[in-house]
Amino acid sequence: MRDDFDRFVTDRLDRLLRYATALTCDKHLAQDIVQEVLLRASRRWDRIGAMDAPHLYVKRMVTNDYLSWRRRRAAKEVSTSHAALAELGPTTADPAVRHAERDAMRALIATLPRKQRAAIVLRYYEDSTDAEIAAVLGCTEGTVRSHVSRALRALRVNRTTPTEVLR
Amino acid sequence: MTDQEALIREAVTAEADEAVDHRAVLAALRTRRARRRPLALLAVGALTAVAAVVAVAVPLVVDRGSPPAATEVPPPTGRTVLLVGLDDVPRPDAVVVARISPDGAVSTLSLPRDTLVDLPDVGPGRLGDAYARAYQAAGTAGQDAHLAGAEALARAVSHLTGVRVDHHAAVRMSAFAELSDALGGVEVCLRAPAVDPASGVDLPAGRNTLRGADALAFLRQRRGLPKGDVDRAVRHQAFLTGALSRAAELAADPAALAGVAAVVRRTVLTDPGWDPMEVAGLLRPAGAVRGAVIPVLDPTEVGQDGLDPGLVRPVSPEAVRAFATSHLADPAPDSPPPPTAGPDNCVG
Repeated sequence: MRDDFDRFVTDRLDRLLRYATALTCDKHLAQDIVQEVLLRASRRWDRIGAMDAPHLYVKRMVTNDYLSWRRRRAAKEVSTSHAALAELGPTTADPAVRHAERDAMRALIATLPRKQRAAIVLRYYEDSTDAEIAAVLGCTEGTVRSHVSRALRALRVNRTTPTEVLR
Repeated sequence: MTDQEALIREAVTAEADEAVDHRAVLAALRTRRARRRPLALLAVGALTAVAAVVAVAVPLVVDRGSPPAATEVPPPTGRTVLLVGLDDVPRPDAVVVARISPDGAVSTLSLPRDTLVDLPDVGPGRLGDAYARAYQAAGTAGQDAHLAGAEALARAVSHLTGVRVDHHAAVRMSAFAELSDALGGVEVCLRAPAVDPASGVDLPAGRNTLRGADALAFLRQRRGLPKGDVDRAVRHQAFLTGALSRAAELAADPAALAGVAAVVRRTVLTDPGWDPMEVAGLLRPAGAVRGAVIPVLDPTEVGQDGLDPGLVRPVSPEAVRAFATSHLADPAPDSPPPPTAGPDNCVG
């Protein structure tokens, strides 16, 4: 049983840390959450390890810890991010611009409400289906679609909007 | 996929790439799991750490009562001392690296004696074997067996942790009860009565002066404490603080001092060139001790490769080195002291 848990950690730790980092936008918070979750999971591994997909259960534990995490990060400068992204104009092949565009998007994602952010990370990082996202977030598929569409609306930058409106 | 979705995917991936190195987390995780498990190994390690620190620190504090010697200049770089707790064979029961920083902060790092290491000139073996092999060889050749053992152990520890050891000091575990007696008892304060048949402890709430067997029982108790090992580590710190302040009080009593000094002289063995007085100016009598155990993997059964059969504890050398370097690093001069038993110095 101990070996089984160790194998799980060896196989999944890196992936879990990356997922948690994408989720929290804070690598240290991600590390704290993953460590705490794995310590809790190790004490109940006889039950968790016997499940069909222990990694999904552990991912759900990580997600729940993040969703119930009390101390909120200071809100990021959303207006700056919108403006930065808008000012970059249409997508371009220039790697430097693309890089800046990506960073602006990262900052924007960090401002999403937690469940919306979780849905986005699960869909675009973990490539999860709506059904899988629903299982991890503990909600219906309809709610998942609603989280995703709201998030996409928030992340969409109307490039025709004058930047001074956003500032 | 829309262009927006492609950008989101890139952004989320870039965020995920910020993740900390999973190997560092693995090491931290294993240490924390090890600490939570009620292992006899850790019990012995923590107890010996206290015994060894008391044994080394007591003469330093005691000697403060006398006029400072000309050599008593605080070393500006601090000192790293290997503390060895010996059983009656003697074999190292616990191996502890103690770092005394220039401002007097003390950090201890325990290394299980069954740690699987690459012994210089020998190959794979248990850490404790470094001492035992050299002890035996020197004894047969008519040389100082303990000195040879301690030096071989110091080399093996440096090899494993990457930490340079300046000096070594060893104490027999059985000396611990004797030491608390020589101090005239060590005062601790309990928030609740401590009763545990397994360790033999039976103490009322409030202030207690512990001697001999009672002191050992108090330090050994783990069962019945809400947080087990963690609570016990806090007790060790409270006991250490009590022992050091008791030693400071004794400075005015020459007869008692002589008794403590005799026990220390008989029980603590150091490297011949070292005068422990040189760090006396650094130690703080009521200073807290920050302790930890190196990250170890789960025990493995062996019976081949030239190793004696039984359990060994494999380690990741990189993880041990990283952990040792960070744990034994001197704290910044203005950093707050580590948490201790509480404002009233009472423990659960």
